[in-house]
Parts: sequence; C-alpha cells; structure tokens
Amino acid sequence: MNRTFLIALREYAAYAKTVGFWLSLLAFPLFAVLGGAVPILIRTSEPIRAVAVVEEGPAAVGLAGAVSDALRREADRRAERAREAAEKAQAATGVAPAPNAAQGALSSLGGTRIRIVPTPAEITAAAPGEAQTAVVRRLLDEETPRDQRLDAVVFLTRDAEGRPGARVWTARATDDTVEDFVRDALRAANRRSVFEAAGIDGAVVEATESFRPKVTAFSPKSASGGEVSFRDRLPQVIGLAAGFLLWSLIITGASILLNSVMEEKSNKILEVLLSSASATEILAGKVLGVALLTLTVLAAWGSIGAAGMIGFLPQYAGDVGDVLLNGGMLAWFAAFMVGGYMMYAVLFAAIGAFCETPRDAQTLMGPIMMVLVIPLITMQMALRTPDAPAIQIMSMIPFFTPFVMMARLPSEPPMIELIGSIVGMFVFALFMVWVAGRAFRAGALSDVKLSWKAFGAAIRGGGT
Amino acid sequence: MAAALTLEGVGKRYGEFQAVKDLSFQVEKGTICGFLGPNGAGKTSTIRMILGLQGVTSGRIGILGADDGRKVRDRIGFLPEERGLYKKMTPVDAIAFFGSLKGLPIGEGRRRAREMLDAQGLGASKKKKMKELSKGMAQKVQLIASVVHRPEFVILDEPFSGLDPVNQQGLEAVIRGLAADGATVLFSTHVMQHAERLCDKVVLLARGQKAFEGTVTEARATSRRFLELEGAIDAAQAAALPGVTGVEIVSDIDGVRVLKAALGQGGKGQEALKAAFLGGLDVRRFELREPSLHDAFISLTGDNPDVDQSVKAEAAR
Repeated sequence: MNRTFLIALREYAAYAKTVGFWLSLLAFPLFAVLGGAVPILIRTSEPIRAVAVVEEGPAAVGLAGAVSDALRREADRRAERAREAAEKAQAATGVAPAPNAAQGALSSLGGTRIRIVPTPAEITAAAPGEAQTAVVRRLLDEETPRDQRLDAVVFLTRDAEGRPGARVWTARATDDTVEDFVRDALRAANRRSVFEAAGIDGAVVEATESFRPKVTAFSPKSASGGEVSFRDRLPQVIGLAAGFLLWSLIITGASILLNSVMEEKSNKILEVLLSSASATEILAGKVLGVALLTLTVLAAWGSIGAAGMIGFLPQYAGDVGDVLLNGGMLAWFAAFMVGGYMMYAVLFAAIGAFCETPRDAQTLMGPIMMVLVIPLITMQMALRTPDAPAIQIMSMIPFFTPFVMMARLPSEPPMIELIGSIVGMFVFALFMVWVAGRAFRAGALSDVKLSWKAFGAAIRGGGT
Repeated sequence: MAAALTLEGVGKRYGEFQAVKDLSFQVEKGTICGFLGPNGAGKTSTIRMILGLQGVTSGRIGILGADDGRKVRDRIGFLPEERGLYKKMTPVDAIAFFGSLKGLPIGEGRRRAREMLDAQGLGASKKKKMKELSKGMAQKVQLIASVVHRPEFVILDEPFSGLDPVNQQGLEAVIRGLAADGATVLFSTHVMQHAERLCDKVVLLARGQKAFEGTVTEARATSRRFLELEGAIDAAQAAALPGVTGVEIVSDIDGVRVLKAALGQGGKGQEALKAAFLGGLDVRRFELREPSLHDAFISLTGDNPDVDQSVKAEAAR
C-alpha cells in the first residue's frame, strides 16, 4: 500500500478511535443549540414578578391605570409581532404555522415578566413614612410566605409641576426590570397628558404610538425581480454561516495537525518515519489523514444540522437545501475548503516539525492566530457591504480568500473576481506546500528552537 | 567479500561547524561493524547521511548498490538514538505499521510482530499500549519494529543506551542473530565493551574524523600492554622500572595510588614486577593487563570515549 495512504490511515485512526474525538465532535452542535436556547430558557423561566402599585396622594390618581395600560399595550404589541412573524414564515415557505405558533413565539420572546397585583391593605393603611416603609420591607422579605410576598412595590407620585415620578422598592437590589418598565410607562403617561393638555385627543395619541408602518423591500436581484422575500436573504445568512464554519473547520484541522506533528517530534517518531518514507510522503499522509478527520467532522455536523432543520424548522429546510445545492454554494464551499485547508494545514504541520511543546509553537502561532482574527471581522462586514473596496481586496488575499469570498458569494461578485481569487488561492496553496515541505523536512531532524529566523533558514536550506 | 556500505571522503558541515570530515570506510556484507566514538563525534550525522535523511556536503556514499539510502530504504532497518513509538498504539499495531511502511503487508507484519514479541519475552504485553510498557520493553519493541521487514542492512544508533545489563545482553544476542541470518549490521556506540564482544570490525570516529578502521584485535594492537600497580608508590619510581615507557596515575587516595605503567615494545611485565619488589616499592596489588578497545581508543584518539565531547568543548569555551 502507498506510504502516504498508510500514514493517512494511521493518522485518521489515531483520532477517530478515541472517545474524546467523538465527544468534541458532538460538543459543537450541542453547545450551538445550548448557546441559542439558554437565553430563551432563562427569559421564559424567569419568574413573573408580583408588583403592587400605590398612588401617593390625590395628585397621583390615575397613574396606576397608566401603568396597567402600558403593561397591556406591551403584551398586545408582542402578540402582534409574533403573529406577523408567523404570517411571514407562512408566506415565504407556504407551510402553515402550527395553531399555537404565535403563542409559542410570544413565550419565546419572554414578554414583560410583570403582574400587577392588588395592593395589600396593610400598605395603604400604614402611615406614610417609616411605618409604611417597614410594611413594604416585610412584604419584600424572603421570610414572608410566598402567597403574601411581593417582588416590588411602586409608589407613584407627581412633583410640584405635576410630572409623574415613582419610588420603586424591589426584593433584589440588582433587579431593574420593574424600574425600567415603570419609567417607560410614566414617560408614555406624561407624553399623553402633555398632548392632551395641548388639545390632542388621547385616542389619537394612542393610535399614533401604536402605528407601525408597513415597509416592503424591493430589489431587481430578488427571485421575483421585485419584492425581497426571506428566501432572497437566506443565501447571505448561509454564506456568512458557511464562512464561519469553514474558518472553524480549517483551523480545527490545522491545529490537530500541528499537535500531531508536535507529538511525533517530541516522541522522536518523526526520525523513524523519515527513515521509512520521504518528508513529502509523511507530510502528504498527515495532511490527508487530518483532512479525512475534518470531513468526518463536517459530515457529522452537516447531518446533525440537516436533521435538526428537518425536525424543528421544516419550513426552512427546503430553501436552505436549495441555496446549498442549486445555488452552487456547496461546490464553492468544497473548493474553498480544499484550498484553505491546504494552505493552513501544511503551514501548521511545518511549525509543528520544529516544536516539542505548544509553548515552543507559540512564537509563530501567536502572530498567525492574530492574523486569523481578521477574516472573522471582515466576514461580518461582508454581509452588509459585500462589494466595499476593502472587502474586495481582503477577499483577494489568499490567506483570507476562503472565508471572505465565502461570505461575499451570495452577493454574486463578478466572475473574474471569483475565478481570480480561487486561482490565486490555489497557486498560493501550492507555494505553501513547497515552502512548508522544505521547512518540515528541516524541522523534523532539527534541534533548533523555533523562531522566525530558524523557520526562514529552514525554508532556504530545505533540510539538507 | 562485497561491500554493503562504502563511504568515500564524506564530509558534513552545518554552517561554520564541520561535523564530519573526509570520512572513508566500508562495511562488508553479513558482518557486524561497530561505529565507535564519543558523544558529539559525528556518528549520528554520519548515520543520517547513510540513510539519506541528510545530504552530504562532500564525498559519496554507496549502500546496497545504491548511491542514496532513500533509494533502498525498504531494505534498511533503522533504530534511532532517541527512541519513541506511538504511545496509544499496541506493540503489535506499531510494529506492523512500521513494517508496512517498508512494504510488508499489514497482516504479515502482525503475524511476525506476535512471533518476535513472544521470542523477546514480551508475549504478555502484546495487547498493552506502548505507554504502559517499561523503557526496556519499549526499546525492544522499537528494535523489533526496525527489523520486522527482515532488512539486509540494519543501522542501530546507540542501541544499548538506557538498557539494564540483562537487556543489553539480550540485545547483543539479537544483533548476533541478525548477522547470522545474513544481515549487515552497523551500530554506533560509545561503550567499547559491546563492540569488543560483537564486532567483526570497528570504525573509530573522533572529532568527525576516522581514527581507526579494522578488527578489534587490530585495534587492540595499536595500544600497549600495561602493568597496573596499587600502593604508596611514586609515579617516578614506577617510570624507572625496566620496560616501562610511561605512567598514568589512575587514582590517589591519601598517598595510596593506582598507577598504569605502560610497557614498551618487548617490555616484560615479570621483569618490571621483579624490579619493583627488589627495589622495595610498596606494591599492595598488581595486575598485568592486555589493552582493551577502550585503551586502544584512548591511544588512537587521545580522547576518553566516556567523556562527552560537546561537554568538553563547552568547558573549553
């Protein structure tokens, strides 16, 4: 059997046979789901705060009603938004939402977790001042039975000019939810009263405040040639996601390679391998083995993603598949992955050949990782302004091409740019293979500590 | 006898440092050749050039009929000085893998691995991971991995280092077995006793240059016999004995010295001893000794092979 293939197989088996590899492979989608779900879970599991509202003095009469109205309007607004989102999804995909979809969307948004409860008589009965404060403190105390306990007490007031204000007592000093809500409610109440004082009907004010203009986006590049739909925007989202995925896969694969070569160097296996195979065969075998691992990771993540999409978001699954397959994105993704992986994998392997510990590698890896942050930032910019000159230039730099061009792809960049960048990337990747091959050969037998100078000398000398 | 390995005027330079200079020697097929020299003498550099892992700066190397070790790598077995195997592999898998890189089918590699591990008393460790083996066991496994494909030429770089005396003896038997099966063996060492027991031929290297090439007997003949004396004896008194051409003080503890009195051509130990007793020297112990390879090395190179040359160079700086 070919030596390169034998080395590749061993490399693949060394990782694929470990439980750690499969655990880390599953960890990414698991944490991705958790990352998205946890904030929603936190919001939905947040307790609904029981709030008592007290109007202080005759001047404050009517403010409690304004706060209750604000709470109702907030709930209505959220319900309306959830309904609209469900309708949009139906229009875009043709799949009718489940009967409780709007309610589900509403609950996932969390809503205002506040419930106004009747004010306990003991608060209003107590004399304002220290006595009343003592009652409030007791009702907010954790020792108070749950059915009598309050989460907040709001004293509504008006100042000398008649402007509304409030003192908000909360059980937890760090909880500003009620404070923020009351501030917004009183601001709205003040606005309404000011307008009414100016002779504008309250109903008009309310209608004005609740008005949400219907804005429709059009573009000649949309699928219909007119109105922009969710389907039209999907490629951009997928392009950005694919760019990040590519970055993650390439860096993961290259890092595996770096560690693998480093381990062989420190265990003195490289010299034995070199007596059995050429440096090129070893490098090619290792790069191929880790490429197979990376493909395994991609296949697993892809399968999990597809299953999740079909299972939980069936209305989008078809469109995503259409963008990936019929839009040609998958083919470009494969090309960028091959070129990008080649560039970074051989570079990391060559660095590994000089190092016995991660600390040794730090000299070169530090600056490289800093450079690798640049495409992460650029990709996000490319989502909004894919044809900005800076983005165009970045996408033509071979080190950044796979990631930035992937993010630019949905905006349909000129074919000359696309072909030019991909040719440039592969030419540069081949140059990297040549350079890294020389450095790898020299590093494998060298005891010299890694530095930019040693690395450069190794490339020039080629290990002879 | 045909040569399996020939070096002609081989040199190796790393920048300003000349590691190997004008080195020429040859190793005949089916023989065991000791490649001797202190640490830092250039043995590993020479071995890497023989294997084709590093290019020569000057000269030429011929091995198994090829002008580059890389062209015949499948016919060569190599055990490097610093040893290591994949820690998470079992000995059988590791041996079969390295055998497969030399063209041995995996299945056959596994079969031979099991057989050879049993022969080396490692049958019980076949299914263990390499990291669970002792250092001695791991070294045996690596040796098996380097010869599992039955190479025609075996190069062992410091194969005895780190082994206990029992394992050293076992390794000597393995090397003899390889030669008995027709393989040519070149092994480097700075411990002369192994070479003395095993080698048909030795090549002595000092400071990158060849100091001697020949049989062990020929090497010994380059050094003189000596009389070892112990007692309260002055070096000058010993030097005055008949037939003695030079004296070296080996140790001196409170005036009680161990002296090595070299005997010149035709010098007789009995006469020197007789003169010592008649002269009233305080001789408490004496021994007439033939020169060892160690002595030959010292006389040929002026170096003690047990002293690391790189350490000496560092001290000199």
